Amino acid sequence: MVSFVTARPAPQAAGTVCSAVPVGRKFLNTHTKKQTDMDPSEVEFLAEKEMVKIIPNFSLDKVFLIGGDLGPFNPGLPIDVPVWLALNLKQRQKCRIIPPEWMDVEKLEEMRDLERKEDMFTPVPSPYYMELTKLLLNHASDNIPKADEIRTLVKDIWDTRIAKLRLSADSFISQQEAYAKLDNLTLMEINTIRAFLLDTLNCMYKLRSNVQ
Amino acid sequence: MSDALSDDGSDFNQDDTQEDVMTPAELIAKLEEAWLNEKFSPELLENKSEVVECVMEQLTHMESNLQRVKKGDAKASIHRMEIDRIRYVLSSYLRSRLQKIEKYFPHVLEREKSRGEGEPSLLSPEEFAFAKEYYANTESYLKAVALKRMPSNLQTVDMIKAVPEPCLDSFVFLRVKERQENILVEPETEDQRLLITVDPGDIPEIKTAQRSHQEACPSSSPFIQNKD
Repeated sequence: MVSFVTARPAPQAAGTVCSAVPVGRKFLNTHTKKQTDMDPSEVEFLAEKEMVKIIPNFSLDKVFLIGGDLGPFNPGLPIDVPVWLALNLKQRQKCRIIPPEWMDVEKLEEMRDLERKEDMFTPVPSPYYMELTKLLLNHASDNIPKADEIRTLVKDIWDTRIAKLRLSADSFISQQEAYAKLDNLTLMEINTIRAFLLDTLNCMYKLRSNVQ
Repeated sequence: MSDALSDDGSDFNQDDTQEDVMTPAELIAKLEEAWLNEKFSPELLENKSEVVECVMEQLTHMESNLQRVKKGDAKASIHRMEIDRIRYVLSSYLRSRLQKIEKYFPHVLEREKSRGEGEPSLLSPEEFAFAKEYYANTESYLKAVALKRMPSNLQTVDMIKAVPEPCLDSFVFLRVKERQENILVEPETEDQRLLITVDPGDIPEIKTAQRSHQEACPSSSPFIQNKD
């Protein structure tokens, strides 16, 4: 679903030290992979820290994790756990996942319509709405009513937002603004445009400052 | 590397844990913030060795506890998963620092040299050793491969000039943590200056190396920190 995300520029081929010794200031620059890149899977990794409600079918005492205590788990009693644990338990068929409140066809339809109507970015229900939808629908679609409709709706919302993002990036560059306000954007959305936009801006900055 | 870490930092680490009343959860959040900042910053940020030490301590403690648990315990597998996640963040953080050191080593060492008394060090002791060794190895490699065959007047390389500097003028995304008024934003072309107010949660996009901005906004980020 997050197909835009993969369209990152391929890292440049690493030049070897000895072949490039001559002039140029960059002959030692063998590590050409951009550090400022973040892999989409790392954004997903962050999203997995979000809490989600599950109904376990086993019982277990409190677990004292480094990041906080979890449990106790009782069969049939809903409990909040991080998504990474929920998915693991689900895969081992030890729980049922209760989708977050916003993952609901009516609410998402409302959101989609609002998103299409407004020129600005509207607030999203979760800072990781895209990643969570993908994770939960891929691994627990049997626990989520109307999974296919939700998938389409979230994709619609995502597409609308990305189109807005591209549009505003375009006007940001063509009007040579010094800063832009990007409220309500999520990390994944920023990530789709980060490498491209920042590189562009850096290049243009270099070109312009050389002209003067 | 991990041995060196635990040997070296154990003294001040103990002091630290007495002063700080940070919960492990806050500690992990700190590590994650440092990780993201380091990832998105064009230059090397100051080292967070206390955080790294504390996280290491937590992990080794947890792992030694797990040694005693018998196999197939449901709790143990949950603990292991958490440890793996934290370890990933930790190594990704340290690795991205090492990559930057490799990329900018002469400049990193230069800054370390010109650092005043009492200023916090940019590098942890291990990173400093790594940078020095990397410098020496690069130099001897260049000498062995090419320089010694050059005419005698061309046998030296000025590393500072040979390796590109981190680009401090690059653009970044930043997320505002506290409300700040009158932040100076300089458009590139005109002389006019722009004052803006930012509220928590806003994500303005600004160029990094604007010193005035850096002072006005001491605490930026999950996305990036404006620190020099």
